[in-house]
Amino acid sequence: MDVRAYLPILMLVAFVVANAIMMLAVSHFTLRPRPTPVKQTPYESGIPPVGTAHERFSVKFYMVAMLFIVFDIETVFMIPWGTYYHQLSCNVPLANGACPASHVSFFGLGEMLVFIAILLVGFIYVWKKGALQWD
Amino acid sequence: MGLTAPPRAGEQIATYDPASQESWVATRLDLLVNWGRANSLWPMPFGTACCAIEFMATAASRFDLARFGMERMSFSPRQADVLICAGRVPFKLAPVLRRIWQQMPQPKWCISMGACASSGGMFDNYAVVQGIDTIIPVDVYVPGCPPRPEGLLYGIMMLQEKVKRERMSDTTLRREMEPDPTSGLYIPAEAIDELSEPFGNSVQQTRSVL
Amino acid sequence: MSGAFTPVMTGSADPAAPRPVTPKAVPYRNGAVSPSAAALRAQFGDAIRRVAVVWGETTVVVEPGREGEIVRWLHDDPSQRYDYLSDVTAVEFRDVEAPIEVVWHLRSLPFRRFLRLKVELAKGGPLEVDSVWPVYKSADWLERECYDMFGIRFRGHPDLRRILMWEQYREGHPLRKDFPLRGRFSRSEQLRQALMANPEARYSMEELSIADAFDDLPEEIRHRLATGERTGE
Repeated sequence: MDVRAYLPILMLVAFVVANAIMMLAVSHFTLRPRPTPVKQTPYESGIPPVGTAHERFSVKFYMVAMLFIVFDIETVFMIPWGTYYHQLSCNVPLANGACPASHVSFFGLGEMLVFIAILLVGFIYVWKKGALQWD
Repeated sequence: MGLTAPPRAGEQIATYDPASQESWVATRLDLLVNWGRANSLWPMPFGTACCAIEFMATAASRFDLARFGMERMSFSPRQADVLICAGRVPFKLAPVLRRIWQQMPQPKWCISMGACASSGGMFDNYAVVQGIDTIIPVDVYVPGCPPRPEGLLYGIMMLQEKVKRERMSDTTLRREMEPDPTSGLYIPAEAIDELSEPFGNSVQQTRSVL
Repeated sequence: MSGAFTPVMTGSADPAAPRPVTPKAVPYRNGAVSPSAAALRAQFGDAIRRVAVVWGETTVVVEPGREGEIVRWLHDDPSQRYDYLSDVTAVEFRDVEAPIEVVWHLRSLPFRRFLRLKVELAKGGPLEVDSVWPVYKSADWLERECYDMFGIRFRGHPDLRRILMWEQYREGHPLRKDFPLRGRFSRSEQLRQALMANPEARYSMEELSIADAFDDLPEEIRHRLATGERTGE
């Protein structure tokens, strides 16, 4: 755990935070706000504003975001599996990076297929329920 | 700043006095702030008519507003420094112009571009405001129908000099306009009538044809 | 023009159909009368006051109460088919005794014809004519402009209010001859009234929520509005 390796990025973070605080502080101490009632109203091309700004968003955005997270995590789990696939498909530890022909197995592939099959059930459920329907 | 109210009791309008004992820091700060403001005036083009075309021509490559730091047009008053009213303003548009001016945050300036914005121009009739200085305070008037781009640039440079002459010790400057709540006028009605008086051929137009 | 009006149907693929040409020498008066004038005379007889042809354009002056049915007939009749309303406007002449004329400019696109219809309203009496909005929807704003500028009321107009000046404008009707060019009030008074006028105060949220154009909206927005989603409330 060598803190010195992280020093550059910690310095960058500190600089960014200091910069933001400096901008806010300078504005706070030099500004002389002159609010008037008309100035506070929302800008609507010079006419008094009509209605409120609180529009309701369609729920489909939330659905897409949530499903993306789930299937993206699934993809993330596939990455280390892909890295070690060579070792996973061998019954004995690798000798010089090669697997003896008689010990090649489908263990790694099978494990991943099981994982994907479980998530596939979920995917079929989502599809049937219409959560992927945009319009 | 244009037709604003006179200074309140006890206020001084500060001008540059070489013999003054103002501190060195204050004068340097004034110079810095004014230099920054003058060279990055972000315009809000309130273009209604032909002068807007000339404004666009001034912003285009031949006459180039970008060398003044003004190429970033803001069509929202919230991010603008100077309101350039280019074109005639009908009475129906008057409350809109007033509201947009009031929604601009300080520091703000106004350029009245063209004859119609400055005085009603050739339209001395029932529908056109006789000079936007009856509605909002104006800093620089640019005459012309329409003014040549060089004319508008001269007006902009005049505004830059006006900005550079400002002093932080001058408290009369960054004051919001306070229109009369009942009438909506920010200068006396007699002043508006005097500003809008007909002249030239318009003197003949105050009666009806019959 | 030679006086031969042959109807040319739009999109007609008949190569023998004569191509319309721009007439070269149009007489000021006494040009060829549009056949619509004769058809109007045949149909409405007494309602037609007079017909004039000026610079090749036919003008028909009709009796004040009859313009509604005349315009409807001109639109519906298959031999006339005036399907395009160019303008509804009014004229007030400098003569004090001359009546105010309300003018309709009609075009027949299938027959490539132009007709000007006029009605004369005496100045002392009520300035009222029938609205042609049931026939031509574009008359909506054209008639509002005519009302705003001249004070002519259109019977049957769905929403007759000022359009160029603000709705609470009290100085009068600007294009009348007795209206001074600079308006009736002082400049400060005009400014005061203009600053008080709020042109958006008229629209309720329901009007702004596009209630009229409901059928033209896309399916998704119709669904959202139908399930009770209000715009901006």
